[in-house]
Amino acid sequence: MGSSDAGAAAGDAAYGTHTGAPNGSDLTLVLLAVPVARRQGYSRPQSHQKDVVRCVGDAFDRYHRDMISRRDLLQLSGLAAVSSALPALAQDLAAPDYKLEIAPVTLDLSPRHQIKTTAYNGQVPGPLLRFKEDRPVTIEVANHTDRPEVVHWHGLFLPPAVDGSLEEGTPPIGANATAHYTFIPRPAGFRWYHTHTLAMDDLTRAQYGGQHGFLIIEPRDHPARYDQEFFLALHDWGGHLLASEDGAMNPSYNVATINGKTIGSGEPLRVKQGQRILLHVLNSSPTEVHWIALAGHGLHVVALDGNPVPTAQTVPMLRLAPAERVCAVVEMNNPGVWILGEVRKHVQAAGMAIIVEYANQAGRPQWQQPPGLIWNYAQFAARQPDDEPTESPIIIPLAFESKFRGHGSMEGWTINGKSYPDTSAAPLKQGQRYRLQFINKSIDDHPLHLHRHSFELRRLGAPLAAASNSAAKSIRGIVKDVVLVDSQTQAEVEFTANNPGATLFHCHQQNHMDLGFMMLFNYA
Amino acid sequence: MPERPTSLLHLWLMLLACCSPALAQAQGNYEIQVYGADTLPADNLMVELHSNFTVEGQTDIIDGVYPTNHQEHETLELTEGINSWSEVGFYVFTSEQEGHGLQWVGDHIRPRIRVPESWDWPVGVSLSTEVGYQRAVYSPDTWTWEIRPIIDKAVGRWYFAVNPALERTWHGPDVNQGLGFAPSVKISYDFTRVVSGGLEYYADYGRLGAFAAPRKQQQQIFAVTDLNVSPLWEINLGVGIGATAATDHLIVKGILGRRFDWGRHSPID
Repeated sequence: MGSSDAGAAAGDAAYGTHTGAPNGSDLTLVLLAVPVARRQGYSRPQSHQKDVVRCVGDAFDRYHRDMISRRDLLQLSGLAAVSSALPALAQDLAAPDYKLEIAPVTLDLSPRHQIKTTAYNGQVPGPLLRFKEDRPVTIEVANHTDRPEVVHWHGLFLPPAVDGSLEEGTPPIGANATAHYTFIPRPAGFRWYHTHTLAMDDLTRAQYGGQHGFLIIEPRDHPARYDQEFFLALHDWGGHLLASEDGAMNPSYNVATINGKTIGSGEPLRVKQGQRILLHVLNSSPTEVHWIALAGHGLHVVALDGNPVPTAQTVPMLRLAPAERVCAVVEMNNPGVWILGEVRKHVQAAGMAIIVEYANQAGRPQWQQPPGLIWNYAQFAARQPDDEPTESPIIIPLAFESKFRGHGSMEGWTINGKSYPDTSAAPLKQGQRYRLQFINKSIDDHPLHLHRHSFELRRLGAPLAAASNSAAKSIRGIVKDVVLVDSQTQAEVEFTANNPGATLFHCHQQNHMDLGFMMLFNYA
Repeated sequence: MPERPTSLLHLWLMLLACCSPALAQAQGNYEIQVYGADTLPADNLMVELHSNFTVEGQTDIIDGVYPTNHQEHETLELTEGINSWSEVGFYVFTSEQEGHGLQWVGDHIRPRIRVPESWDWPVGVSLSTEVGYQRAVYSPDTWTWEIRPIIDKAVGRWYFAVNPALERTWHGPDVNQGLGFAPSVKISYDFTRVVSGGLEYYADYGRLGAFAAPRKQQQQIFAVTDLNVSPLWEINLGVGIGATAATDHLIVKGILGRRFDWGRHSPID
């Protein structure tokens, strides 16, 4: 998905289409501080195309020019939604900036692979949402399925009521019901949205399906100058359970795609010589880590999980764990027709690749097979770290272990010996700095995600056997919301408890979170 | 009473035998195993040693066939994975017995194909065929052929496998018997990640469509344990009893297997 299609569509369709908001909005919206899902009769959307996405752009800016008091109130209240019980005035006030329709869809991943799934607005990935930092936004979400849904706004600092996690208290959107999410988007950067439901043994639901989309919160300054940007979502389809060498069942996949298409099945990324393109790469896979390279080109990484890195680096490939994002600039200085795709041969053979085509170039797409897999978070850390803060963080050790459930089942998971919902941690104190010690005793790697906060990577890859006296180097400056912790290692991240409310922490591998790998932090 | 479990087992087997009409065949007891549907990955070699000792078996020479009582059978099985859905196995059967010493018994070859994982069937399915020769002093039928469908399923801690095998004699007394039906079944439970335990049932009912009389059928049931100590190792131990006159009455079996992965693997493959 490039700026020339969905991204541009979101923006172009938006400007000038909104007529503004009526008066009296402040009072009404304050009254609506409690999120309510609106039930309504099922009405199938007339179209699942991108045109159901409405963005108000400049009109929205004008509308909010006088909204300082309202914005402040929103921040205080965690305002979430409007209800059908409200008068027409309120309905008008809540005219959404975007609409998302959750509905079943049949996707053509390739001419040979068709898949029935659930998606936003009939497309995979869902529509690109562009928000402006600190400017309130309302998204109407209509659930045209027969199951409750919830949309998680991944990487945003939101109140629990709208964060999109049932565990935190976000209300579900009932079957065939509609809800509105209203919030102030922050922080700036490349975020995403996705369903936050459980799949359990059904490997077609939740993150195994097509409910994911890109979300950009536009910063005051872009982390890099570019001529064209492309959004790429890596996803795996056709999940089924296979016995694996860890003695349990694990998901395996038949098809792997970029933006819902196998190689050659979708439009190529069209570029021109001399351009600087900005790639926004998201791994929306339910369970799989992916490695991505662009043949003939280096990838200059400028941001991880949407946050600018202290030391931008040009690397031969990207590694993305589930839910991770990487922003990379590419100098288009090697004319030809190239393949951007998974480095591992069997995954690329399953379809995970896309063609990059220079203007006026033709021929068979070229791939240059890297000899190995290379990635290291630490290379993007600050070269000259700041001095250690005088305030010592409170250390919270979190040990992860698997729980055997039979060779015919996926494994269960525990945090400090307990599975969700029995997991617990001491309440957080607002303003306090915390260091989470991730002690991964299992033989799986885990992409760990903290909701509603970002954290700073501090120490990575210390072998468990020597973690206490490990020489693993301390790093600074990399801010993320997901980190992949390798098997049998210890990693440490720090965050400041600055966003009160229930805060979910979990492994972003769908089958792990389904089977106990979650924990709620609560504020004192 | 300590005998009770065995007695109940005998009773169960007798009942099972009485329900099945049939004709008997000699039983090899060289490889006592219910197959799972998986095949070995490509570039992998599995080396297995099947050790079976007949504690209480046939004591007389019948039709020139040595008695099975106190025979120690050692079978070397080599299985090579061809691709993600096929393998070939090769067997060397031996027997050691007082008065006869260590003897080569015969060899079999066993190609097998499976339903590919990508088909995502709800059960594992594969099809094996086995052809081979064994010396007449150990088996009256010297050249035999077997086709063995294999169906299995793991659900939680439970594992089920069924092998409804069909056998055909190419050379020997039973050459005119047509297809024989020799099913085997396994059910086991994972007590821990390492230790599983369960039952294996082996039978030979005789000719398909005209089963042998129950006393001439072979009916054996084994109490077994599988020790899943490593993906590279296979360990199976069991004690089995036979309920019919045509079956060896008490057998102890063991399988020790080691998988060797000699393929060159790169993280990019």
